[in-house]
Amino acid sequence: MDAARLKDALSRWAVAMDKAAPELNELDSRLGDGDLGVTLQKCAHNVRAALPAAPDSVQGILKCASQACADASGSSFGTLFASGLLAAAKWLDSRSLDRTALPELLSHTVQKLSARGGASLGDKTMIDSLQAITQALSKAQPHDDLVALARNAASKAIEEFRDKPNRIGRARMFAEKSIGMDDPGMVAVLRMTESL
Amino acid sequence: MKKILNAPSAYVDETLAGLCAAYPSIYKLSGARVLARASGAVQGKVGIVTGGGSGHLPVFLGYVGDGLLDACAVGNVFAGPRVADCVSAFQAADGGAGVLALYGNYGGDRMNFEMAIEDLTSDTFKCNSVRVADDVASAPAAEREKRRGVAGMVFAFKIAGACAAAGGSLAEVTAAAQKAADACRTIGVALTPCTIPESGRASFEIAETEIEFGMGIHGEPGIWRGPLKSADALTDEMLDLLLPELDMAKGTSTAVLVNSLGATPHEELFIVYRRVAEVLGQRGIRIVMPLIGRYATSMEMTGMSLTLMPLDNELERLLQAPADCPFWKV
Repeated sequence: MDAARLKDALSRWAVAMDKAAPELNELDSRLGDGDLGVTLQKCAHNVRAALPAAPDSVQGILKCASQACADASGSSFGTLFASGLLAAAKWLDSRSLDRTALPELLSHTVQKLSARGGASLGDKTMIDSLQAITQALSKAQPHDDLVALARNAASKAIEEFRDKPNRIGRARMFAEKSIGMDDPGMVAVLRMTESL
Repeated sequence: MKKILNAPSAYVDETLAGLCAAYPSIYKLSGARVLARASGAVQGKVGIVTGGGSGHLPVFLGYVGDGLLDACAVGNVFAGPRVADCVSAFQAADGGAGVLALYGNYGGDRMNFEMAIEDLTSDTFKCNSVRVADDVASAPAAEREKRRGVAGMVFAFKIAGACAAAGGSLAEVTAAAQKAADACRTIGVALTPCTIPESGRASFEIAETEIEFGMGIHGEPGIWRGPLKSADALTDEMLDLLLPELDMAKGTSTAVLVNSLGATPHEELFIVYRRVAEVLGQRGIRIVMPLIGRYATSMEMTGMSLTLMPLDNELERLLQAPADCPFWKV
């Protein structure tokens, strides 16, 4: 992964967030404040505006995108997404982002997100999706399509958690009602993987 | 959506502009989304910052004023403040004696304040945090750390603000705020929802004939949903939930807040207060300085909440100390 490819990927990510916004708002209105789509749309808008002036390094672009998302909104998901990007940027430091480094980078990011947001594995959040992707990528063979693996893992995670209750945040208070519903944050992760 | 506004996206910023225009000697903007004291940080006094989503006036920003808060980071309606605004709020409140962050126990607000504090860490900046978690319906007593902050925040602001105004150190102001946060308990009842300007959606759905007992201020599910009951029956049920959690023997004192969630009129609040005073009177509990009115709202939501905060000598003294903001004078 080099700077040009990352910028390109983020541009596609931004388009996907615009497209997914109504779906995510709808899902979130059943369990949360109904603003997940709006939040990610604001993040996408800021990232798109910041990309042209971003530094020409993977780390620099991730930091720039993190700041853009943090400035977009104070919503929990926006803040977590920004801190995830920042954790990834800091971990990379002088390392280069190649196939083998990806699972380690994701695993580190999952740990940082869990520490920041207080969610544990099994709480039915985006942490569970990211963990599923991490595990899938760590088993990847040299010629596997990593994006396809990530997409499948994100999709399977949603299915696996559909009939479990949310255990954290506002959705926690709907406990029983959340059984059978897809977690909006997990769906957002799936839409992100689909855009790559 | 039937609301008096110009554009949904300008709802928060135009509210802030109006507040500052109405009370220029009390409020000023210190950054687009930070409300601070017009006269700036009080040198040598412990600063108190808060923050949270809009849509709850007078909470949070309204309580910036003498004997109360110093700065507030303001988010969109029902959304947390941005990290950068939390940082600016700390800076606006810092009079050199340290700053207390005092806010409601919501995941997003906690993350944003914690990240702001990490950004600010230096040898000269001292800061503590206290989160208010008074909504008894939002988690069982055994999981108090999961409860959300509602109207009890008003008492925590008052107690911490009075301690800071009297020259308390950061440790003393923190301890007083924690004592208030630990002492207060709130339970609410919701009749009709409010509409969130940016989405145009109602905060929850409920049948015309139903109420929800224990519902949170953003429409979080409560304890039961059913037909409307009489004011006395509702009040008794609220007290039955609050009193067992509080150690209030005969002869003790308590603060009481009967709060409108927005649309419920003062008349109905006084009908409820009448019953609260009756029941507490029968138990030999003395009410100090009752508050009845709109202190923590959800825009035009219909409903009310009842907050009790048992008082010891220190809390009673701090509750009655002078305070002055456009929404509350003591």
